[in-house]
Amino acid sequence: MKSRTILTTLIIAMILAFGFLSTTTGQTRKQLSVVIDTDSTRADEAQAIAHNLRAIGVSADVRIWEWNALKERIQAGERQMYLTAWGSAYFDPFDIIVPKFYSGDRGNYSGYSNARFDAALDRALRAVDNDARREAYFDAQQILYDDAPAIFGYSLMEVEAARSDVLNWQPSMDSRVNLHDVGLARGDTIVVGLYADKILTLDPAAYRDRPTETVIRNMFDALVTRTWDGKVVPEIAEAWKAVSDTEYLFRIRRGIKFHNGDLLDADDVVFTFDRVLREGAMGGRTSPRKGLLGPVEKVEKVDQYTVRFVLSSPFPVLPQALVHFQIVPRKYVERVGDEAFARKPVGCGPFKYVEGQFDDKIVMERFDDYYGGSPSIPPVGPARVKRAIFRMMPDPTVRVAAVKTGEVHIIQSVPSHMAAALVRDKNIQVKSVEGTRVYMVEMNCRRPPFDDPRVRRAMNYAVDWDAILRTVYAGNATRLATAFLPSGFGFNQSIVPYKYDPARAKALLAEAGYSTK
Amino acid sequence: MIRLSRTQAKIVERILATIPLALGVAVAAFIFMRAIPGDPVDIMMGEAAWTSEEEMAALRGEMGLDEPMHVQLWTYLKQVFKWDLGYSIVRSRPVADIIREALPATIELAVFAMLFALAVGIPIGVASALNPNSFMDRVGTCLSLVGVSLPAFWLGIVGILIFSMILGWLPTSGRIAYGAQPAHVTGLLVLDALITGNLPALGNALKHICLPMITLGLGVAAVVARVTRSSMLDVLSADYVQFARAKGVPERDVTCRHALRNAMIPTVTLVGLQFGSLLGGNMIVETIFGWPGLGRVVVDAIFARDYPVVQASVMVYALTFVLINLVADIIHTVLDPKISL
Repeated sequence: MKSRTILTTLIIAMILAFGFLSTTTGQTRKQLSVVIDTDSTRADEAQAIAHNLRAIGVSADVRIWEWNALKERIQAGERQMYLTAWGSAYFDPFDIIVPKFYSGDRGNYSGYSNARFDAALDRALRAVDNDARREAYFDAQQILYDDAPAIFGYSLMEVEAARSDVLNWQPSMDSRVNLHDVGLARGDTIVVGLYADKILTLDPAAYRDRPTETVIRNMFDALVTRTWDGKVVPEIAEAWKAVSDTEYLFRIRRGIKFHNGDLLDADDVVFTFDRVLREGAMGGRTSPRKGLLGPVEKVEKVDQYTVRFVLSSPFPVLPQALVHFQIVPRKYVERVGDEAFARKPVGCGPFKYVEGQFDDKIVMERFDDYYGGSPSIPPVGPARVKRAIFRMMPDPTVRVAAVKTGEVHIIQSVPSHMAAALVRDKNIQVKSVEGTRVYMVEMNCRRPPFDDPRVRRAMNYAVDWDAILRTVYAGNATRLATAFLPSGFGFNQSIVPYKYDPARAKALLAEAGYSTK
Repeated sequence: MIRLSRTQAKIVERILATIPLALGVAVAAFIFMRAIPGDPVDIMMGEAAWTSEEEMAALRGEMGLDEPMHVQLWTYLKQVFKWDLGYSIVRSRPVADIIREALPATIELAVFAMLFALAVGIPIGVASALNPNSFMDRVGTCLSLVGVSLPAFWLGIVGILIFSMILGWLPTSGRIAYGAQPAHVTGLLVLDALITGNLPALGNALKHICLPMITLGLGVAAVVARVTRSSMLDVLSADYVQFARAKGVPERDVTCRHALRNAMIPTVTLVGLQFGSLLGGNMIVETIFGWPGLGRVVVDAIFARDYPVVQASVMVYALTFVLINLVADIIHTVLDPKISL
């Protein structure tokens, strides 16, 4: 009897002891569990990432959202890990890196904040000297790489296609469809299948999206423009110079005519920028494009063919920014009003507006009095085709079908999985250019577990991007070491992307106190 | 003083009753849109550097989005009473312009899809009912099951593959080729081409509407066939049909005059209800075929949180739906004088 009591006590004591031991190990080694948020377009990628994380012992789930609803939750700091992307238009890191990672900026969804990083960006933004800017961006890249506020991802190649009878066709990195330079072996009307389901307006001051800009840039020209690979060259402006860090002079080409016959001079340029900068300048409404001009304070007329840009602080990317500000005819806009102008636009570009519906198609005709366009992008002279039509074709399968049947000549945004079939078609030419959007997986750095850089680095080592890009995007992607793009200024090639190294990831997780598999 | 007959008075009453309904729908759309998370100005500004919170706040102020909800609602209702549908946040133009541009395309497609559904569905339904359980009936039932089950996005793409890419008979997308447009009268291209006697335009528009019409209409055709079959079966066994037969009325007259007319009553109700879903539910078809209609505008506006566009479109949909059902009810009274409004 006595021995049985002793035995029972012993067993109970052992059970308790084991239980205690196992709970204590449980306390030192927590299970890391994350929910990966994404919109439906990147669901496959999110599943693959979750699979990679589960392989190292992280409990990972994917949740699909409508993007803007998700964004609001992210901005409120309620989510953990989310697939995001951000595009650059200025071929300079500042329009991705500042909004995405500068402390408290608008697109900084990770809540990342590092005073050293901010200081490096401040230096890059203030410096006018290119070497100093490059050095500052190099510093910023290294800090960002080490802090890893996101699982750094990739940029996608932009694949476009055209019929083989389209001559001199070259897609641009900034999504421009330059119809001035292309010719047709047969026929005189060129049709472009836009990937968008609508454009917003034909008023160069009233939008912020790329498809609208793509159409507008065939009817309007800007002071400067860009080669397909991102170099800024003169267009309406003959030349420009920086008088000081905060003052630029632009000399305007003489004899440029608007489609209504008016001659373009400094007044039109000043009017164009005043319309964007001044509150309520568009018939009582304010242009949504004001912020894109950064610290530009005002634009003044110096003489009939010279204007001065006055800045409140240095803005070395001003020429890049000005590519996106198309010049409008002052007298015409003042006479007809802003709404009528948007309906029946008049510019000085290679094509003049004929008719259209923003959800359907926009038709334009060659402007025979065109001054010729940028001398740096030959051919110079009137457009080679007589008529150009932009058609809204939101469905990718239909775009591909339409270019195969010859209904359209050029299509944008060919999905990776359809590109291979188009390449085999001898009536089609397929070209791709480096994209200017950075795709990544941001982590909420304000809260555990991702407030610990070790955990964030572990996540970077855990994802097998090469496999994901090969399977989900057919290899049409470039792996990135940080959120800096190779096409942007100040890209540091010597920083190599995080390797796929599950062992390293597990070691880092263990160091941070998480259990691994 | 105009004297109205009882039916006319009822019609006027029904039309007047749509006013509070439209208002209710407007208020509901207003509230639901604002309950969805997301900030229209933030969405509109896209991705760019140098976009300050002040700049966005100023734009919100300009659009009245910073006012308390009830003030915004009141401003909106006042606008509606003045026939002003407001100004699109994203597209920076009056909402009325957007709807005026997009609505005819949607109505045209819905009408054609419905005509297709009736032209295909009724004969199949009648033929099946006349020979129940025959081979013909089984084929009809089978076809309508397939028709109901095929999703539009698949059907549309397969249609394009076969008829545009392989056979080259029909264009892949769009409403009409450039240069073929008839003069603008109603905005319904086929109708405009007929009115102006522009035959090339008519041909071109019909070619363009063919695939979208079938894609959108096939599901409805299947439902129409099934409803017609069952109500026709019911009617054919009714006493008055037996009586007509006994009286020696030729079988064709029995079917067409006596049976079909009465069998059409459930079909007409169905058409009224389905028309609403054709109007509101054709966003997928519009996207596939690049059809510049209201469905695409609305879905896009919902994603962009373009409140004024969504509110106005929902109101337009509701009113159209009510009016079409009113027309369906009037047709009822014609088909069967025993039914009154």
